[in-house]
Formats: sequence, structure tokens, C-alpha cells
Amino acid sequence: MDIVNINELIGNIELFVNKICGKIKKSDIKELRILKTKCFGKNGIITNFSKSLPQYNVSDRKKFGLQLNKAKKILEDAIVKRIEKSKSVYRDSEPHHEKLSYSKDFCFPFPKGSLHPIIQTIQDIIAIFKSLGFAVVDGPELETDWYNFEALNIPEDHPSRDVQDTFYLNENGIKKLLRTHTSPGQIHIMEKQLPPIKIIVPGRVYRNETSDASHSSIFYQIEGLEISENITFMDLKAVLVEFINRFFMSELNLRFRPSYFQFTEPSAEVDIQCNFCKGKGCKICKNLGWMEVLGCGMVHPNVLKSVNYDFQKYIGYAFGIGVERITMLKHNINDIRLFYENDLRFLKQF
Amino acid sequence: MKISYNWIRKFTNFRITPNELCSLLISIGFETSIVSNKRSWTNIVSAKIIDISKHPNANKLFLCKVTDGNKEYSVICGAKNIAIGQIVPFAKIGATLKDIKVKKNKIRGLDSNGIICSAEELELEVSSKGILILNTDTNLGEPLENIFDKNDTIFEIEVMTNRGDCLSHLGIAREISAKLQKKIFLPALKVFSVPRVIQSSITIEVKSDLCLRYIGSFITDVKIKTSPNWLMCALQKNGLKSINNVVDITNYVMLELGQPLHVFDASKLCSNKIIIRNAIDNEKIFALDDKEYILDTEMLVTSDLQKPIAISGIIGGKYSSVDNKTTTVFIESGIFDANSIRKTSKKLHLSTDSSYRFERKLDWNMSKFAMLRAISLIIDIAGGNLKILKDIKNIKYKKTQIILEIDKIFKVLGYTIEIDEIKKILIFLGIDIQLKGNIFFCTVPSWRNDIKFDVDLIEEIVRIKGYDTVPYVKNNKYSTYIVNNAFIPTIIEKLRIKLSELGFSEVLNYTFVEIRDLEKFDLKYYYKILNPVSKENEVLRPSLLLGLYKNLLLNIGHGSETVTLFEYGKIFNKFGERKAFAMIMYGRVWQEWCFWTEKKIDSVYDFYFGCGVVRKILQLSNKFIITKNSSIKKYFRSEQTAAITYNGKNVGQFGILNPFIIDKMKYDIFYFEILTNEIEENYTEEIVFYKTYSKFPIVKRDISIVADKTLKFEKIESIFKNIVDTNNILKTYSLFSIYILNKSKLCYSFRLSYGSNSKTLTDKEVTEDMNMLLKKLDKELKVKLRK
Repeated sequence: MDIVNINELIGNIELFVNKICGKIKKSDIKELRILKTKCFGKNGIITNFSKSLPQYNVSDRKKFGLQLNKAKKILEDAIVKRIEKSKSVYRDSEPHHEKLSYSKDFCFPFPKGSLHPIIQTIQDIIAIFKSLGFAVVDGPELETDWYNFEALNIPEDHPSRDVQDTFYLNENGIKKLLRTHTSPGQIHIMEKQLPPIKIIVPGRVYRNETSDASHSSIFYQIEGLEISENITFMDLKAVLVEFINRFFMSELNLRFRPSYFQFTEPSAEVDIQCNFCKGKGCKICKNLGWMEVLGCGMVHPNVLKSVNYDFQKYIGYAFGIGVERITMLKHNINDIRLFYENDLRFLKQF
Repeated sequence: MKISYNWIRKFTNFRITPNELCSLLISIGFETSIVSNKRSWTNIVSAKIIDISKHPNANKLFLCKVTDGNKEYSVICGAKNIAIGQIVPFAKIGATLKDIKVKKNKIRGLDSNGIICSAEELELEVSSKGILILNTDTNLGEPLENIFDKNDTIFEIEVMTNRGDCLSHLGIAREISAKLQKKIFLPALKVFSVPRVIQSSITIEVKSDLCLRYIGSFITDVKIKTSPNWLMCALQKNGLKSINNVVDITNYVMLELGQPLHVFDASKLCSNKIIIRNAIDNEKIFALDDKEYILDTEMLVTSDLQKPIAISGIIGGKYSSVDNKTTTVFIESGIFDANSIRKTSKKLHLSTDSSYRFERKLDWNMSKFAMLRAISLIIDIAGGNLKILKDIKNIKYKKTQIILEIDKIFKVLGYTIEIDEIKKILIFLGIDIQLKGNIFFCTVPSWRNDIKFDVDLIEEIVRIKGYDTVPYVKNNKYSTYIVNNAFIPTIIEKLRIKLSELGFSEVLNYTFVEIRDLEKFDLKYYYKILNPVSKENEVLRPSLLLGLYKNLLLNIGHGSETVTLFEYGKIFNKFGERKAFAMIMYGRVWQEWCFWTEKKIDSVYDFYFGCGVVRKILQLSNKFIITKNSSIKKYFRSEQTAAITYNGKNVGQFGILNPFIIDKMKYDIFYFEILTNEIEENYTEEIVFYKTYSKFPIVKRDISIVADKTLKFEKIESIFKNIVDTNNILKTYSLFSIYILNKSKLCYSFRLSYGSNSKTLTDKEVTEDMNMLLKKLDKELKVKLRK
């Protein structure tokens, strides 16, 4: 073998290395793997060159071997460098290769559960009032005339009993009724203890009326009561404003307006500015711009008397929130019957 | 109640717009809205009759020419009372009368280009003869709604049940004047003289305590006619129809002053004596609404010597009613016992404008004033001579007096109002006050029957001043008090979270169920409602099953493949009112799902999957134990059910619903119900104590063992459990497959986890321990390793 051959070979190697290096710079991982095989595989070019080494003389062999090692190192470095660089690209592009989608439907469909919107409202209300220092109390749904009416200053022949048409039943020969409001809860607590009292009573109530889009013979109420020696009408307003702003998560325009309940004096109803039309008047608020959310007032002295409290000493306020109503306002629900149909297409929205 | 803006302005002088008035009324406690007047006529105008000739082809018809000032129209008319020069309501082509469109019409060969209307056709009167004749000074071509409404605004006002005094224009005007601090002007009364009582005239006797005051008057020589336009119009705006001048006047006075009056044709009475008494049992009266009412002794009637002529304060009798031939009338104005009127009205299912007012208590003094007002109007409009005016007071009326301490106002409201302001508010409400030191001595006016206590006066003060002026401080004293029986249903909240995470939806069902449905599930009811809304809502639910089952069917019907629901609520069983919690499960656990690895994930809520859910939620407390169901409810399939105890007490059952009871379904239905009273009361969170765990690797081995089908799983399990409890290297075991080998044998597969706290286990150690377990199984239960 003459020297020209060797120099020619070395030139070929240099050419090959340059060519491959150029390819490496543009290759992705898969292609790199192929290139690597092409160079260093069983029949790789570099491998074959190495295999041919013994046929050259010592000086040529030395020269050629040196060159070969150099080429090997250049190629290996180039590949490692390219792999490092393309790893980040690889990471990002891998899902693309696997044809992945980011749609949520692309994952295993664990079933969706739901809590009833009424219950969620009650939980929210309870949480707010607990943070204002109220305790939560439960009361029976099966009541006597005393708790539901008499003790609350509603005598038997009062016209307002017309408004609350009542379901009656017998229990072992005793006349019972299904409570028409959660206010009997006040009496139960006051009979058991002396003030200070600061409670809410959530629960189901009943009215004997035919169901339609805005009436149901069953609905939920939350009663509130605070009694001590120095509770005022101002405190009542403060608590309710705080509650409404927190519940609707915004500072709404509120309206306190006089009303009439037997068990409170002075009595008030609270309206909020319609959420949907911002007071301009729309279908939902019946063009009034306002929507009634609760009734309240200062506990009537006759109620305090009926539980043998000293009505000169103790004073307090009470309020009642219609759960369905404010749930409907909050979620834009237009028919109260939806709450009791229990159609999953409705329930799973909440 | 409808209120006319123009009418109330007759009583008090204010300059605020209808919209402002609406807000003002709301701010003082009257829910008010402006109603558009529904009776708005289109294409009906005033027109003058300028020519009348006989219809050539009909005897009873006339051909009339009318003009609206611009154009002449020829109309066919059949009324007898037409005359040239009359101004009449004329409906042009295109107008609507009683929902019928007026069209061009040919009557017996002649064109009629419209209709000359009667009061009945205009829906102003119940029935009328002939056309309506308008006042002679009416402009021609004036749309009818302008003639009758005069740009008025009608309000719909909801009056609180305790404010009977506000059921009139005067009453509402009084409220407005109190707020605006203006004077009230009562209508002027005609001066008339009451002649001395004539011998043969009517006498009045009050025989019942239910009548507190009775004023009767007797007027002769009245002329019954159609009411003048203004009167007809006033009634129409308030939703009443005109009948005749005298009856209309009594209705007008009721709307104006709030005192219901009743007028009788005196010539139709059987005697000259009027008696106000309790009815006799089974006494009957045929009333003005053409219905017969059967009375009892608790009802008050006005009667002559023979029979009742009115149910006092509610409705008059038909036979003594005023008609066109009436010349002598007897008018009554009473104060009747409000509760008695209410009871009677309820018993008879009869509520009238009159009873509605009497029930809400009336103004003692107004009964007299209203009578005088009515007499004035009758003499003015219908002529006549007042012959008798009698006033019988059955009780001694006393005005309410209340002591109001200024300190009390502060105590209730929490802030101070100037004394001068308080004084002014009270005075404009008609309350007489005397301030002595720190105390107001207040005398309540006769119309305010609702004011009884000092707090009522405080409400009046803050009401008139405006609830919106009540200051409030943000974040005031939010103190916490402890209530004896206060509890938080934490376990229920935890159940809710767990189940909703498992894909369950919470439902709320009616407490009422139908007896027929209960029988289907062999359930008994314990509470029956005496006055249910319907047969479907007759009894209180003794279980949550019916509601949940119905919900299930509904949702399957709507195409749901999976329905998993739960409910928490009251049930009513033999122990009374109880709290219950229930779940129902049906269908696929999740929708069928194949990954591209083609691993299929599918399962349905059968007994075992249901049990898995039960186990999951019962983890909330280790006081729960699942045991054999020894009193299986009939609605469960007897071989797939179990019972649950809490603290050793039976609290409920679960299982697969009996396929013989339920409707035909594709899959099993799993149902679970527990009573939660005891659980909620005794539930406390269990405190967890930390146990150290091994830092060395765990070795897992799977084994399959073959057992007799008759062998109870609990026995096999107890051996595993025993070893875990005593052995130091078998840490846990779990069953992952049950396979039926043949008719008599079952194969169970377990995964065993071995580990040590002190070292890495060798293969030999694990094998030895496992062999020990297998030997034990073989020796004690003849359970062998599957080869």
C-alpha cells in the first residue's frame, strides 16, 4: 500500500465525518439511532475501517488509527450533543407522536357525582352563619299547634293562618301538623334555655298548596334567632347585610321594607336588586327590579312571654330565609319543581 | 287591591309621580306595582247620533248616522233608547268587543259600518239594556279610554293582613300623607235633615254579640237608573262592574272609605222589623251569587221576621235585592266580629270584597261616616228622602292607649331619633300624644286596630322614617354562644362527600307517598294526612325507598345507563319522626371504556360492587359492623342482603331489591337504608395513633386455593387474619378473585404481602411462612393450593 492510499483514506474519513456531522445536526432521535448504527454498528463504516487496520503498515496504521479515533470522538460527541439538545424537543413532541389529545374526554370517565343544589345552599348558609357565631340546631317536622302557631303569637282565628294552609294529622289521637315554617325551632330552644341564644334552624317545611313554577307544598327554610339583653334592630340589619353580601359574593343593593309577621315587631322584608337585570326590570324579577329574599324582625314580646322570658329584660331578632328562592336566584333556576323531580340532567349540573 | 292614582289625590295634596308613589308605598310596607289598565279599548270613540231612520227591511232596526267629528258613518242599531243628539260610544271597524272583532256587516241588505255600544258590550256592566249614553259635554272622536280613565294610573297594592284600615283609597291616602306629612281631606257630606221617626217605619233590633255596631237608614222615593259615567268609570277602574246607581254608590263608598255597606229593597221585606241575629241551624239563604247557603248558629245574619235577608258582612240575599222597580231602600253599615266573619266565610267557601274587609277589622267611627257619605251620594244621584237613620252600639268602644318610653325606642332600634321627629311622625299618623318627661302617652286613632303595644308604635316610627335610614355597622359583635343541644351532622356531611366523589347524586323527594305504592313494597304507613293535596300525597313516607325507586325509573327512562342516588331526610315510622339515609345503585359502574391497549374496563352495580360502596362509606366509623340480616325486609332478595349495626344496635339493611316486586330491569338494583338518629348523636371521630412501618422491601406472593362451595369465606379469612395478627412477616392479604371451578369447588385468589421491620426477607423465609399458612388451611379446613 502506498502513502497516497492512506492519505486518500484519511481524506475520505474526513469527508465522511463532515457529511455525517451535518446530518446529525438535523436529525431527530430516531434518525440519530440509524446514523449511529451506520457509523458504529456491526457493519458500520467506522467499524469496518477499524477492522481494516491490520492490513496497513505500522506507520500508516498509526496515522490512520489516530485519524480514526479522532473521527470516532467527533461523531460520538456530535451525537451526544444532539441527543441532549433534542431531548427537550423530544419531550414536547412525544405526545404528538402518540396522537394524544388534551380533551378531557380522552381520559378515563370516572362518573361525576353531585350534591343537591338545595343542600349546597344550606351548607353555604350554615358556613356563613357559623362564622358569625351562630350555632346550628335541628327541629322536628311533626309539630303541635302550640309550637307552630300559638307560641308564635298566631291565635287560632287569625287571618294569617289562611296564608299558611296547614297539613294536619293524628298521632296516637293527638292532633299534630307538619310545620309550616322553621320558626317553631325558636320556641324549642327558648323553652330549653335562657339567653344568650344565637342559633339557626335549617329544615324542611310544608304548606298545603298546589305546586306550580314558584310554589311547592314542600320547601326548605332557615330560621335565625338571636336573643340577649342588648340586641337591636341595627344588629339585625348588620347581620343580614353581611350574610347576603357573602352569599351572593358581591355587594348587592339591598332594600329593607316594612312587613308584617305575627311573631316580630317591627317586621321587615329584605329585597335584593335583581341579579339578572341589575334593577332595570326583567322577566325573572317580574319587572320589579327587586327580589324578595327573606323576612325578619324583632321578636314580638308575646313570643318571649309564651316561653316565660322576662320580655322587659330580653330582646332579640329573628329571620327566615327561603332556601329554594335564593338558590333559584343564585343559579338562575326558573321552576321550583325541578328541585324535587330529581332528574340527573338537572342534578349533575351542580 | 286596585287603587287609582287620581282618586287618592282627592284626599291629599301631593305632587309626586305615579312611579315615585309606587316606591314610596313600597318603602312604607305596601307591595305595590303599576298595572296597565287591561280594559283599554281600541278604535272605540265618542260619536254623536245625527240622524235616525227606520230600517226599510226590518221593523225593530234603525239606520243611524253618527259622526266622530271628522267623518260620518252609517250604522244599523236595534236599541230602543237611541235619539238624535246623543253622544254614544262607537266601535269602528277593527275594534274588539268582548273578544270579537268588529267587521263590516250587511244587515238585511244595508251596510253597517260599526257598532253603537252598550255598557255590557264594553264590559262596564254585568247586563244592560240599550246603548250607553255618554255625558253631553263629551268631545267627539275622543278615544273611549280617555273618557273613562282620564290619564289615571292604577296600582295593585298588597295590604298586610293586619292593616284592614288600608283597604280603601282613603286608607292608602292616609299612609301617603303620614309619610309626606300632609293633611288629609275627607269628602264633604251633604247637609240633610233626618225627619222624626214615623210610626209605621222600620225598627232595628240587634240580638247577637257578634254585631258590635249597626247603623241602618231608610230612604224612600229613590230612582234606580244606570250610574253616571264617573261612577261607572270609578268602579270599572277598580275591577267592579256597574249594576245600578244605588248599588254602585254602596260599592263606591266601600272602595273610597273601606266600609262595606249593603242595600236592600225595603218593599220586599216581610216585615218592618230588621233583626241582626245568629242564624238557626240549617237555615237557608239564596244569595246574590245565585247560590243557596246553609247556615248554622255560629253565623250572623240580617233578617226580617221570616227569614234571613243577608249573611251579615258577607253577602246579601237575592230576593231582597234592589232592582229597576225599587223605590224604597234600606241601607246597613255595621261593625261585625271579625273572627266570626272569617269563620263563616271559610265554612261557606265564600269570600267577598265585603267579608275580606270585615275579617281584617274595621274603623269604629268610619261605619257612621260611610253611611252618611252613602246617603249624600244617593240623594244626589238617585234622589229620595231620608226617613230613618238609626245607630245601635252593642259595645262601649274605647280607644287604645299606650305608654311609650323613649328609652325603649333606643333599646329596640339601637340608635337615637330626635324627639321632635318622633312627635311629628306620630302626629301625622293620627296618633294623639302627650309627652311627660321621658314618656309618650299615646292614643291610637279608631282605624288603627293593629297598634296594641309600644313595639307597634316603635315600628310605626321606624317605618315612616324609613327602614333604609336604619344605620348599620359592618362586623359588629359576632359573639358565639353555646347552645345545649347544638350539633353538627358531621357524619352526614362526610357521607355526602364520599358518595359524590364516587359519582352518586343527592336527591330530595317529597315526604308524601301513595298508599298503593307502599303496598307494592310491603311497607306500612304510620301517619296519614287528614287534608292531603291529592291521593298520591296521602301518607308520610316510612322509608326513603319509594322516592329513590321512582327517581331511578325516571332517570333510566331518560336514557341513563348508570343511576346512583342517595338521600338524607326524615322518615315517619312506628317510632315517630326519624332521620334516615339511603342509597340506590343501578347499571354500569362506569361507562364501557376501552383503552388503546384494548384493556376493557367494565362492571355493574351488582351485590358485590354495592357491598364495596357500603364498605367504603362504613369506614367512617369502626362502630359499624355488617352482619347477617335476621329480619329481612320483603323488598330484598333473601339470599343477597345483610344488616348493619352501629355500636351493637341494628340500624339498617341493604341488598338487592327483590325481582318479584320491582319492575323488569336489565340489571339488579342495590338498595341501602339506615336510620341515623343514634349514629349522629353518638358519632365522634376516632383518633388515629401512628404505627411505625417497615423500611425494608415488601415481598408479594399470589396464591390460589381451592375450597368447598359450602365452606364459609369467613372461616378461610379467619386463618389469614389469625396469622397476620400473630405472625411477624405476613403483613396483609387481599382477595382479588373468586372463580367457580366446578359444581362443588370454588377457587379463591389472594395476594399476600410479606415484610419485616428488621431486615430484607429472603425467598426461603417467605416460602416457609407461606407453606405454614397452606398447611394450616389444609389441616383445619381441607383447603388446598390450586395445582
